Amino acid sequence: MTASDPILDPTLRILQQLFATATHDASSAMCRWTNGLISLSLDEVREVPLEAVSTEFAIGNDLLTMVVLNLDGEKGGQLILAFDEANGRKLAASLLGREVCTDSEWTPLEESALKETGNILGCAYMNALTRLIDTELVPSPPYFMQDYGASVLEQAVMTQAMTSDNVLVCNTRFQRDDEDLDWSVFFVPTQALRNAMEDALQTSC
Amino acid sequence: MTTTTSTDVTTLPLTGMGQISFVQSPALAPAVLGSCIGLVLHHRRCGVGILGHIVLPKSEGRTGPPGKFADTAIPHMLELLRNEGAQTAGLTAKMVGGGNMFGNSGPLQIGVANIEAVTELLKKYGVPLRSQSVGGLKGRRLTYNSETGSVQVEIVGEEPFTI
Repeated sequence: MTASDPILDPTLRILQQLFATATHDASSAMCRWTNGLISLSLDEVREVPLEAVSTEFAIGNDLLTMVVLNLDGEKGGQLILAFDEANGRKLAASLLGREVCTDSEWTPLEESALKETGNILGCAYMNALTRLIDTELVPSPPYFMQDYGASVLEQAVMTQAMTSDNVLVCNTRFQRDDEDLDWSVFFVPTQALRNAMEDALQTSC
Repeated sequence: MTTTTSTDVTTLPLTGMGQISFVQSPALAPAVLGSCIGLVLHHRRCGVGILGHIVLPKSEGRTGPPGKFADTAIPHMLELLRNEGAQTAGLTAKMVGGGNMFGNSGPLQIGVANIEAVTELLKKYGVPLRSQSVGGLKGRRLTYNSETGSVQVEIVGEEPFTI
């Protein structure tokens, strides 16, 4: 079984448009937060078979630094902002106006800078989606974690996995001055939220 | 894509969610686990084994790949081994995973349910559970060595260890 092509699948195409709008809002927020340095401009909405979750999103089986926001409730999900260690450290240094820290342990201030980044992005995304699908989505406070990206993504798709062998993952990548950064934002809705998004889009068409 | 090390031990591709990988010697079979269970069944005398990446505890009539649910994965794994001449009587099991990265929030507390389901089913089918690394709040990377039956476990922030 292969991943669905978002260009051919009409539902995915509509969801792509919805997320493009939300990404635009998130990009504006990110630009303000980083004084114009970082923007979000690429996004894809993909439905992939369960067995491909670890391999389809280029997160590999390596350690990543992540900020996670939960959307609690049946119509919920996870927003996962992911970097490799070096890029996470660079972002924190840039936000704090300092040199990149080389200690093995992250300082509370560095973690705080990344968590705030996740918070800003998460709230921008959720405000846009709330507006578009008329369902209130309230993210939890962000939390910082370092783990295998595939492990985290695997758990995030679990409610979808209960009813389907394919899962929907929305992936946004970042740019700085037209250069792609090795960061990602994954938004993984629960099955109930996914159904609500598709229903809202059907109604508006 | 498989890779081969300089000592001619093949490293298989990652066993993904819901997949089952039959592993013949000498080979290394990896998997990355969150709340899922990586279950290794190893037959020492035959030098073969099988790795299942189990996602959910019970099928409850749902269809899907056999490796997805513990109650379909384990009988399927045993049948695949029998087909290769590795009878259930000679098998031992090792279990890894069942974590919960999102603490008390996030999607379900499925890790615990998976651990319990796999443990019960191993008892039901008479396969002794030799060792395990399960639970907690971190993901795991496992590598099963079909030549030795060992399972290396890597958890972020800890030294790798073998079960």
